[in-house]
Amino acid sequence: MSLSMSRRECFSFLAASGLAATMPQLEFGNAIAAPNSPYRAMVGIFLYGGNDGWNMVVPTDLARYSAYSTARRASLVLPQNSLVPLAGSSFGLHPSLKPLKAIWDEGAMNVVLNTGTLSQPLTKAEYIAGVSERPSGLMSHSDEQAHWQGLRARDSNPDGFMGRLNDRIAPSAVSSLISFGGGSLAMIGQNSAPLVLPSKGTVNPPGYAGSLANPIVFTRSAALSAFASGAGWGTLTNETALSMSSAYSQIYIANSILSAESTVDQYFVSTATGAPLVSDISYQLLRIARMIEARGGLGHTRQTFFANHGGYDTHAAQASTQATLFFDLSEALSAFYRAITALGVVQNVTAFTMSDFGRSYKGNAQDGTDHGWGNNQLVIGASLVPKQIHGLYPSQIMGGDDDVAGDGRFIPTISQEQYLGGIARWHGVLEGDMPYVFPRWSNWSGNGRYPVSLFQS
Amino acid sequence: MATGVPGNILTAITPRALLTPRMSPADAARLARQGTFGPTADTVAHISSIGAERWISEQFNSSGSSYSEFTLPLPLNYCKDYNCYRARRTREQVAMRFYQNAISSPDQLRQRVALALAQLMVTSMQGVDDAAGMAAYQQIFLDQAFGNYRGIMDAVTRSGYMGEYLDMANSNKSMPSENYAREMLQLFSMGPFRLNADGTVQRDTRGAAIDNYSPHDVKSIARSLTGWTHAHINNGAVTDYNSRDYTKPMSPVPWNYDSSAKVFLRTSVPAGAPQKASVDAAIDAAFNDPSTPPHVARYLIQQLVTSNPSPAYVSRVSAAFSNNGENVRGDMKAVVRAILLDPEARAPSAAPEFSGKVKEPILLLTSIARALGMTTDGVVFQDWDQPLGQPVFLSASVFNFYPPDFPLRGGTNLVSPASKLMTAGQIALRSQLAYNWTIGARSPRPEFSVRPAIANATGTTIDWTSWEAVGSDFDALADRIDLLLMSDPMTTSQRSALKDNWDTITDPDPRLQSRKRASAALYIVFSSPQFQVDR
Repeated sequence: MSLSMSRRECFSFLAASGLAATMPQLEFGNAIAAPNSPYRAMVGIFLYGGNDGWNMVVPTDLARYSAYSTARRASLVLPQNSLVPLAGSSFGLHPSLKPLKAIWDEGAMNVVLNTGTLSQPLTKAEYIAGVSERPSGLMSHSDEQAHWQGLRARDSNPDGFMGRLNDRIAPSAVSSLISFGGGSLAMIGQNSAPLVLPSKGTVNPPGYAGSLANPIVFTRSAALSAFASGAGWGTLTNETALSMSSAYSQIYIANSILSAESTVDQYFVSTATGAPLVSDISYQLLRIARMIEARGGLGHTRQTFFANHGGYDTHAAQASTQATLFFDLSEALSAFYRAITALGVVQNVTAFTMSDFGRSYKGNAQDGTDHGWGNNQLVIGASLVPKQIHGLYPSQIMGGDDDVAGDGRFIPTISQEQYLGGIARWHGVLEGDMPYVFPRWSNWSGNGRYPVSLFQS
Repeated sequence: MATGVPGNILTAITPRALLTPRMSPADAARLARQGTFGPTADTVAHISSIGAERWISEQFNSSGSSYSEFTLPLPLNYCKDYNCYRARRTREQVAMRFYQNAISSPDQLRQRVALALAQLMVTSMQGVDDAAGMAAYQQIFLDQAFGNYRGIMDAVTRSGYMGEYLDMANSNKSMPSENYAREMLQLFSMGPFRLNADGTVQRDTRGAAIDNYSPHDVKSIARSLTGWTHAHINNGAVTDYNSRDYTKPMSPVPWNYDSSAKVFLRTSVPAGAPQKASVDAAIDAAFNDPSTPPHVARYLIQQLVTSNPSPAYVSRVSAAFSNNGENVRGDMKAVVRAILLDPEARAPSAAPEFSGKVKEPILLLTSIARALGMTTDGVVFQDWDQPLGQPVFLSASVFNFYPPDFPLRGGTNLVSPASKLMTAGQIALRSQLAYNWTIGARSPRPEFSVRPAIANATGTTIDWTSWEAVGSDFDALADRIDLLLMSDPMTTSQRSALKDNWDTITDPDPRLQSRKRASAALYIVFSSPQFQVDR
């Protein structure tokens, strides 16, 4: 364990700032949970910009591939022989997702077809009539991101599903809701906060270093503490002060984990060349793997992670952009899968994708696609029922019953709550808490509706 | 101040304005936090002596910031070496100029409004890596910050740089791109939901926000915007990628233009309408939409004054956008006056207790620099703005560095856009910045030195004189900190804690002792929530 600040210095700061009481006695590197422990982690990866899922997962049977290649503009069509077959199904993956093939073959990957933001089930007639429970702000990046992360498809979202989930988990010295991909709505709770750190580098707040026997250090620490509270300075200052204190109380421990020797780094190498991966998504997943490795010392029996991968808004020249993104994503996921396998928790961790929306099936004249709605997603983990394709592939008739715009913007047939709710229940959200975490849960469980059956038990 | 806002400088200099009482230094500092890149002693004294209305009028006529020397278009394959590449194809030179201007140029309010507009109508070097194009694009906002919003929308829509960023360039009638059409409506004008004049969202009988436009509207506007491509350097062929000129407005390509009839919003464009008329109709429909004044008003208030303006405040600014008092819509002078002269901006007692906003990284950097007395080439700021989450001119998407509705933590039902950039890692980095540029800058820092590989680099220096002058007298030091850096005076216990630290710091050299004492206090204050949130 290499700390950039000695343990003693760390405590001197904590004592000065009144945070010592929140600091547990931690032992890193031991207390690895057994594979059959109740530990579980979910890793949500948000593909920002609206991933074209219709070229992530492509039907391979003759009729539907033929309809795909006819409906989409030629520059978007992936040749049938380039697709990575998902054995045992009639679908294939984009060729740049080839590193995921081994995971599928092992039985640790599922596909969820045409999932998207819904408040309640919706037909095209109801969509057109407009009096129904049609989501607001469809095809808008910011609104649909909020509908995926906050889940309220017809209202504003002051918090997100991971944050609400975190509200119902016992607090720990270091939050068990963690991201290395920037702040996001998904992680904001009503009374809890995530720990968000960068994907590279570690910075400990300076100025607290040194011995409290030194009067300059002692009085400086005391002055920092005198300014640490925002009470009496208005809500905005007060909440900001709380987030600053919370950051300072967690960051020394978290940074010590991120800068220590770790067994997981060795897996984050290219499947093709063996060279270390350098994409930001690979850095994020590497750090997530380190936090999973450290779960015992952190006292985490549940962990929730949010990662982001941006650049998917492919309005023009989609083919090259998406290929690069998919290659980085699949190399990182493949490495992450090897790492959690080595840690013995491959059955305890589920990773899954989300994105703003799907994209127009037909495409535009600039070799790109525009904003759509329903979309395909990938789920990875060894607790899954092997090799499942969930949901219905939409009718490929442009302007047909599944298409609200005439060029393939499909009404989802699985809501975002059915998709994410299945994962959250597996993760351990109690039935009684589901309506808090999933605001329209009553619409999606019971009466013949149920979350996606991803898991073996 | 909602109605009867003076429409031009002549009417602004009325007897009433001349009778405007001097502002208290604390109120002047508050205006400086809203309308400049950070209070300095000189700015506060000046505002205090002439009052808010005269200062704003003075700023309307102030200039000095410009990107014009970076707007010379060169072929995209012009560069043969790395130094050329970093000057022409990265943000470095344009961002250096941005920070130089922010720290030193007198047209502070023009620059703040330009930055607000640049964060509303976002482009990014991450999408189009041509510095000349970005320079020309930013020049639009400096030139028209106090012009008319319709003119700004027009220049942005026709910009070759924006055309490349959001794909209006080369959008073709065979299957038009919706990218620009959609974001022009959603971000640059009316917003996705129908708004009341006070900025609140209109809801249907079942409680859902009412959409402001349909997919059909977006498609039809996309069709109206077809048939444009880049200007080309030296009359290069339209097929010659390397001669594309992103600094100029786009030119028409008639055969790619969809000249059939279009109906969108409350507008129809007849078949055969000229190309320019189609574009004008699309811009007019957006500009004249009833949701545009509250949408833009709220955004600009959030950028300049407070993250959670009251509906009444939004409606007053929205009214000024709709009509400047002389039946002109979109007059930015009227809008800026309405924002900054509103009671909610000027009188803390008139503002809700949750008013104010978190200092976004750019303003954190510039506020520290200006308070310290920094002179800079703008290089070192680019080491910091990226990890802090706001690399100017390098947004990850058209949605800027933060969304306007990012929730404040703690179940408060308030928003705090810049709090998106207050992750634990970024909070630690803010503290590191505060330390490095104060205690760590008592003697010259390596990061401030001239970097020879960078064109126009002159380095960064801090003139400690003004802080040394008060560093030997604790009360003078604390009073200066209160005035320039604190929204409200520090508490007695905070003041005494600073004094305790001040007492322990000694040096045989009296001047160095003053510098050490002042810089220690500045570190503590710069890293505090009281400084990092403007009220």
